[in-house]
Amino acid sequence: MHEARWTRPVLVMLLVAAIALITLDFRAAGSSPAHAIGADVFGPVERVAGAVASPFESIFRTASGHQSGEIADLQKQNDQLRAQLAQAQVAAQDQAQLSQLLRLTDASHLRVVTGTVIAAGGAYSDTVTINAGRRQGIAPNETVLNGDGLVGVVTAVTASTATVQLATDAASTVGVRLAGTGEIGALTGTGATMTAPRELRLTLFSATAALLPGQTLVTFGSVGGRPYAPGVPVGEVTQVTSQPGGLTQTALVTPFADFSGLGVLGVVVSR
Amino acid sequence: MTALRVIAQGLAVPVALAVAVIAQLAVVNRLPLPGGTGPDLVLLVVVAVAVSTGPTTGMLAGFAGGLALDVAPPASHLAGEYALVFCLVGYACGRARQAITHSAGELTMWAALALMAVGIAVGEAGKVALGLMLSDPNVTGPAVKHLLPVAIFYDLLLCPFVLWLVSVVLRRPAPAGAPRPELTQIAAAFRVASAGSVGAVPKLRLAGSTPLPARPPARQEPKLRLSGTSAAFSPAKPGVGGRPVKVNFSQASPAAAKPRQSTSPGKGWVRAARPSGQAAPRRSSPGKGWLRVTRPTGSPVSNLSSPGKGWLRAGPPAVTPAPKFRSPGKGWLVAGRPAAAAAPKFTSPGKSPGKGWLRAGRPAVAATPKRSSPPKGWIRPAKPVPPPRRKSPGRGWLRPAKPASRNVYAKSPSTRWVRHSHSPWPGRRRRLLALMGGRR
Repeated sequence: MHEARWTRPVLVMLLVAAIALITLDFRAAGSSPAHAIGADVFGPVERVAGAVASPFESIFRTASGHQSGEIADLQKQNDQLRAQLAQAQVAAQDQAQLSQLLRLTDASHLRVVTGTVIAAGGAYSDTVTINAGRRQGIAPNETVLNGDGLVGVVTAVTASTATVQLATDAASTVGVRLAGTGEIGALTGTGATMTAPRELRLTLFSATAALLPGQTLVTFGSVGGRPYAPGVPVGEVTQVTSQPGGLTQTALVTPFADFSGLGVLGVVVSR
Repeated sequence: MTALRVIAQGLAVPVALAVAVIAQLAVVNRLPLPGGTGPDLVLLVVVAVAVSTGPTTGMLAGFAGGLALDVAPPASHLAGEYALVFCLVGYACGRARQAITHSAGELTMWAALALMAVGIAVGEAGKVALGLMLSDPNVTGPAVKHLLPVAIFYDLLLCPFVLWLVSVVLRRPAPAGAPRPELTQIAAAFRVASAGSVGAVPKLRLAGSTPLPARPPARQEPKLRLSGTSAAFSPAKPGVGGRPVKVNFSQASPAAAKPRQSTSPGKGWVRAARPSGQAAPRRSSPGKGWLRVTRPTGSPVSNLSSPGKGWLRAGPPAVTPAPKFRSPGKGWLVAGRPAAAAAPKFTSPGKSPGKGWLRAGRPAVAATPKRSSPPKGWIRPAKPVPPPRRKSPGRGWLRPAKPASRNVYAKSPSTRWVRHSHSPWPGRRRRLLALMGGRR
């Protein structure tokens, strides 16, 4: 057969090319130009495809009983109230610290750009793409939230799309503090090790602070509000898993946002 | 095939891959499917393309599809991971498909599905393995334990649909059970053949009717080789000439001019016509050889789809049993039944084409005295009674078959039959049992 003659050399070439790509990307920590080129090529297509697919997806969601009818509305309202409560707690109980934090960020200049999810990553990555990008003022390392709470952080942008790393991604770490006590900790995603609903793992840096189920967490905030704006509600402690005698305390946290049904997301743009 | 169709077929795979990538990212990954993950459409398409075409297309499709998944926006793994895995999987599936079609002659639907299932499992496992090796924080042991079985399950669910879709898109017959376009080819070939036989009976008869001294049995250019192998079959041979029908057939088929490397395995009974010593033992497996002969071009599927060509070109092309031509094996048997149209012309045993036909397919060794009267037996096979057909020519290749179920063979000696007859396991089992019994 004619293909036997040049199939092997081409195969070897392709394999070498793939390994070279992997190497380059590995050295660049996953941000090689290949991703940028791919985003520029596929971004516009995904915008169209996402717009086309959204109605079908919502039909599927409704048909499968996911977020259907009154229950979904009530659930959403409940989440919103809980988020407001968390913010109110922050405001009431820790106003001094919060104002100090807010002084770090120029809060008056914060504004939120919204975008809709148009594509999602595969089984082993908790990432989504939204249909808003550089043109809308989005830049990498900006906080992403929805009506319920923290969603993630922008990792890459093209002219018209932005890629969001969700807080559940195993590579994501968010600085948080307990709404009531102000104790600080780090919240790490668990990736796909958890079946839905996915929980986050909290590491509280204080070994003696009170850590109880039901406590809510808000983001600690970063300098300039990037990557995380302060005071965004994140989730609720559901199970304390710390071992006695440890230097830190650990717990499982249920996020407020429903990561399996993300729709409209807001990006906190810092200018 | 028109240029337009060539272009359309060339574009089919890239378009299918692009659709799969977009659908995967924009739809499948967003659906809240139970189990936490969904099928990998791109892997499915790559494996289906590889299984229904071959290693070259498979590996190119795999690299392209994998690279697209690597760099399309929400991807967070390293660029090149999926390209590497899918490229290897596509190549391996294509090679496996080639191996199966070479040994069994035809890729049945179940074989294709089984091959796809294996390819999918390997592909999913390869993605995971590469992620683990590159220490992707998301690919951890517990995550793999959760997601890998679910992903493979969804893939297997979609397997038949994707295979069907891909074979439709590629405009090729599904590995089995699908409508066979070869029927039209065979019908056309038969029309040509019968038209030729009306006015030029002697030409058609030439396949066998030339007297023995004129053609030594072990000559270097047997008729059958003309059909399958290219070299000896040239119209420039006037000594063997006077057979324009056969010549035309061979020239009409573009495959005849191609060098046959892998396509002419020599195992078959066609090569038996060559004076090689190894022909005799292999003749116990005629179907294989026959199938190989009919596969002279690059793409096995399309060739398999026209099994009749091989023996039509070989000579006696009188009958048109088109509706019965589901399996190539049948065609082979029908080949032995050319009498329906030409029966009156074969009344004299000396002129019987079957003789020549047989001789062409057999090495000189087979020229036993009984062959002086073969036509009775198996040229007449137009009659629905199988036993007389099997009498004289059957000695060579039908004898290894079970005599009790000869009707089965006469009716449908499909690839299953061929494979079965090739299988080494009955013999091994027998020997093993004998061994065990002896030890006891």
